[in-house]
Amino acid sequence: MKKDKKEDKDKVKQSPAKVFSNGWKMFRLVAKYLPSYPFFMVLDGVLWGLLNAAVAIFTIRLFNELDKSDVSFASLALVIGIMAVFYVIAYFFDAWYWDYYNTTLFQKLQYRMQKDLYEKARSMDLACYDDPAFYNDYVFAMDQARNKAWELTEGIGKIINRLVASTAILSYMATMNGWIALMIFAFAVLSFFLGVAIDKLYYKGNLAEQPMHRKNSYVNRQFHLADGAKEMRTGRISENLVAMYEENVDELVKTRVKFRKKILPFDVFWSLIDSVLPIAIGAVSFLFLIRGEVALGGFAGMVTSLWQVRWLIYNLMERLKKFPEQSLYFEKYLTFLNKEPAIRSGDKEPGEFESLVFEDVSFAYPFGEEKEVLSHINFRVEKGERVALVGYNGAGKTTLTKLIMRLYDPSSGRILYNGEDIRTLKLEAYREKIGTVFQDFKIFAASLAENVLHGPYDGEEATAERVKEALAQATFGEELAKLPHGVDTELTKEFCEDGVNLSGGESQKVAIARIFAKPYELIIMDEPSSALDPMAEYQLNHTILDGASQDGRTVIFISHRLSTTRMADRIYLFANGCLAEQGSHEELMALGGKYDEMFTLQAEKYRDKEADEA
Amino acid sequence: MSSPKKEKKKEKKKKNKEEAISTRRVFANTAFVLKILWKTSPVYLVTYYLWTIGNAILNFFTNTYLLRYLLNCYSDGSSGITKAFIYLGVVLGLNLIWYFFIDYLRLLVHPKYTQRIVANIEELLFDKAGKVELACYEDPAFYDKYVRSMTDCYGKCMNVIYTIDNMLWSFISLVTNGALLFSIDARLMIFAFFPLLLGLVSRKRNKIVHEFDRKRDPIDRKINYVQRTFYLAEYAKEMRLGGIWRAMLEKQKAAWLSYKKLIADYGWAKGGCKFLLNIGQEVVCVLGAMLYAVYCTVVQGSMSMADCLVILQSVGSISGLLTDFVAQLADCHKNALYIEDMRYFIDYDPALKSGTEPLPEEGNIRFCNVDFSYAGAETPSLSGVNLTIRRGEKIALVGRNGSGKSTLVKLLLRLYDPTAGEILQAQTPLKTLDLDAYRAQYGVVFQDFKLFSLSVAENVLMRPYTEADEATVVEALKKSGAWEKVSAMPHGIHTILTREFDDEGVNLSGGEAQKVALARIFAHPSACIIVDEPSSALDPIAEYQLFENLLTEAAGKTLIFISHRLSSAVLSDRVIYMENGRIAEEGAHRTLMEQNGAYAELFRKQAENYKLTPQKGGEAE
Repeated sequence: MKKDKKEDKDKVKQSPAKVFSNGWKMFRLVAKYLPSYPFFMVLDGVLWGLLNAAVAIFTIRLFNELDKSDVSFASLALVIGIMAVFYVIAYFFDAWYWDYYNTTLFQKLQYRMQKDLYEKARSMDLACYDDPAFYNDYVFAMDQARNKAWELTEGIGKIINRLVASTAILSYMATMNGWIALMIFAFAVLSFFLGVAIDKLYYKGNLAEQPMHRKNSYVNRQFHLADGAKEMRTGRISENLVAMYEENVDELVKTRVKFRKKILPFDVFWSLIDSVLPIAIGAVSFLFLIRGEVALGGFAGMVTSLWQVRWLIYNLMERLKKFPEQSLYFEKYLTFLNKEPAIRSGDKEPGEFESLVFEDVSFAYPFGEEKEVLSHINFRVEKGERVALVGYNGAGKTTLTKLIMRLYDPSSGRILYNGEDIRTLKLEAYREKIGTVFQDFKIFAASLAENVLHGPYDGEEATAERVKEALAQATFGEELAKLPHGVDTELTKEFCEDGVNLSGGESQKVAIARIFAKPYELIIMDEPSSALDPMAEYQLNHTILDGASQDGRTVIFISHRLSTTRMADRIYLFANGCLAEQGSHEELMALGGKYDEMFTLQAEKYRDKEADEA
Repeated sequence: MSSPKKEKKKEKKKKNKEEAISTRRVFANTAFVLKILWKTSPVYLVTYYLWTIGNAILNFFTNTYLLRYLLNCYSDGSSGITKAFIYLGVVLGLNLIWYFFIDYLRLLVHPKYTQRIVANIEELLFDKAGKVELACYEDPAFYDKYVRSMTDCYGKCMNVIYTIDNMLWSFISLVTNGALLFSIDARLMIFAFFPLLLGLVSRKRNKIVHEFDRKRDPIDRKINYVQRTFYLAEYAKEMRLGGIWRAMLEKQKAAWLSYKKLIADYGWAKGGCKFLLNIGQEVVCVLGAMLYAVYCTVVQGSMSMADCLVILQSVGSISGLLTDFVAQLADCHKNALYIEDMRYFIDYDPALKSGTEPLPEEGNIRFCNVDFSYAGAETPSLSGVNLTIRRGEKIALVGRNGSGKSTLVKLLLRLYDPTAGEILQAQTPLKTLDLDAYRAQYGVVFQDFKLFSLSVAENVLMRPYTEADEATVVEALKKSGAWEKVSAMPHGIHTILTREFDDEGVNLSGGEAQKVALARIFAHPSACIIVDEPSSALDPIAEYQLFENLLTEAAGKTLIFISHRLSSAVLSDRVIYMENGRIAEEGAHRTLMEQNGAYAELFRKQAENYKLTPQKGGEAE
């Protein structure tokens, strides 16, 4: 859906101290959510570390025993038996821990973390979404919270495991022969650093290929997504796409060959180490064996655990390497959790709606363009009025509704609700006074009733009735009758096979029904009928406006179809963020200004006809 | 020594698909993929497998066999020492030569081919995708297969290659290690093959895991959805107003609880199977073999210490390899299933075929008793449509949502064939005409038009751009009203649209995008222009200008436009009013108004609010 967000991830370097402190904080956070988790994690790491080491040590002991001339089978069988017992215990713990206990705990951890995150997310200002830098971090933090917490805690367990195992094996070997232990250690460390260097080169190469892959996958999508299928068939655009693809492939091959050549010397060096060192270690151990400086068991143990130690150390370092990345993630997570919303609740209880006043309100979005979207707006809406906001796209109408809902606060000026600055009112209670339908409303993957109530649905008879009534008022009655489960019908197929996908017009009606489901005293509708056909639009506008005014509700609606706004008591025309004209339809037509011009243009075709007929 | 250099093993977790497929088909599908690779680059295919075979053989002599050899030399005393070092030297030399050879292959030879292989596979699919008829997009079963085969087709083909590769590795290692064990003591084979018995437990576990994952899938979907509603910008406003967020939180909690229950239900069974498997493998197999070997060495004296050590090493790896091999057989099957989708798609024979007749010079288009239903739909979208579209006519296609207007246009363009009845151009059925030539007559802008991440010029031309096209493009953009915007863009008509993969690309607003799409019809010398809802995203002034341009441009050409705004119907020669898939009324605007039918009623309703004074006009005809 969105573009890559991870590209600049490793540009930021963090000091080891920072990484360590972040790691510790995250560990503590996990411990806060799940007190018993760290204990088991450490236990698992130590237990398996010991088991891994035990296998190597077991081999050595067994062959040392075997090499003795007076060996008894019973003592050897005992060694094997102890090993078997050790295995049984470890595997039992493993099965219980990983398939049952850990999964359960992790499930709890995720749930608790998410809940806190969600609460926080909801309290964030809408303005944060306009700040691309914050938004990217935010999406990243939210999206990755589950996995990263897991990665970190699991990572710590594994690191403990590798540490315990490699230290135990190496120190056991060192007691037999320090030189060989040192060689094995050097081999592992050397392979690791070389591996890192090679990885970096590959990463660079992949980064260089990235844009081309993106192009290719774009072309691929065009061929299977339904939305361009008609164009692909009626024009020859597929030729353009294939040409682009072909060109890209050539480019890709060139880039790849270029980068691989750079890797070659490193890789040859790697091959050298990887083939020479193990054989050299084997040869040296063999020499020690012949000279009698190492027992047979020691020799066997060294040769067999060579690769194991290499793997353990390699893996350990690989995991440590990941820590800065995780720490960076955690930093983002913390920034997000510590960010204080700028829009805070006041403490006064809002009363019944009487009036809404804009007092010299100006507003510019805090991020992006610095241009004022609204400047010095003054107007007043009284109880029971039907107010239309009209104007071209981008004139600031939708922004105005966002200010009313306190999704943003004005840059200057005040908005008064019943004469009181809305910033002094209780936020949730204030917002609950107003019913809103946005232009870009969303249908949620929930039941129809939940979508209409815009909240939990208790399944009570009375509530169901209320929902049905609201839907009928939004002229959705006919469609409702056709739905298999009535108001309990699941909307969207997101996670319900027999869920219903509504058409654009139907969705809009459901969104509109929201404002009928509760006795809002003030209703705001942004382009309420844009997806409807003329007939439905006509009916709906009448229903809404007539229904609302009968109940004495106040309606503010936005539209660029002037035929609709004509029904309003008062019309405000916005142009370039300013309130250009205001008055009733007749007044504005008589004024002969912008409104008159717009209306005349839209009406022209209909009027010509009438003139003909007359 | 258990972790040799074998980086190319890539393991991907895939969701299990439960579909049956015959063994023959598995072979056929595998062969199909191998053939594609062979065609692209025999060198790649051969060297790729050579690499594995070499690695496996060399690995045996550098690990298991080396140890045995050295220990035997050791027991031989001083005469063995020279032998041991000669062996070490030879193995070292072979390793060096082989690894350098592989480095050369991997870094200098293979990179030339890998991307070509991807391209060949994808282009095979692209070619087909252009030919599949539009109806396939509406058949969910087909479309699913289609999307599945198009997405990550390279990965799926490569999985076939990887699996064969892994099997080769397992097989060679099994044979070499097995032969060694067999030569030491044939009875050891019992321990090595014991894991086959464990296969039963492992199947049980797979079944449990599979069931667990299957039940977990919908839960995960729910959790992820709720998460999205909390952080995506598109939900942000509504999550802050009203109480829908509470409903979402409840959903999430319910999902977590059912997940918890799932773990409780399956965790023990899963863990139990795993425990049995591990104990079977490590304790019974490896330690059992060890006990036996120690017994042979110490009590019976029938075994050398070198052999005893080999057993300790090999029994574990053989039983592991066997388990792997069985799993790889299952992978083969799974891969073949994915390839099956792809082949189904490639072998699919489009129902909508091009005819061979050349396009008639002139001639009207005639719909004769045309019925049409979308696949799976209960009610027909068009029924009994009879219509003649004369050359040069300006037709307005009007009606409510879902009345069949857009469907009619799709049939006209032969994106679909009628379910019953026939469409003719100058007495020749469309089915017999050359499809590309037929469609080329039309210039179309769909309601849900799409702009591609290509240059503006290419988006307008809808075909590759040459320098000779510049004037055409500019002219077309001027006529559609997009020129003002486009000329201000950094690279003019060569600006790439959307930021999909060009940081200098330009994102257009809805209205601007529509204007660029409309320029297509001005750039294309078509005999017939079709415009579906041309003005929905335009403001009134732009709409007005557009209509004027359309009418000028369409002088002498056929123009068909679909619109909700009946005001535009007034401009047409003929209005076709559709209702429930039928042509309900048809004739000049005036005539229809006089008939005072459904069209007239709709027109008046729309016009009502635009009347200057209520008394004027209205019902008085």
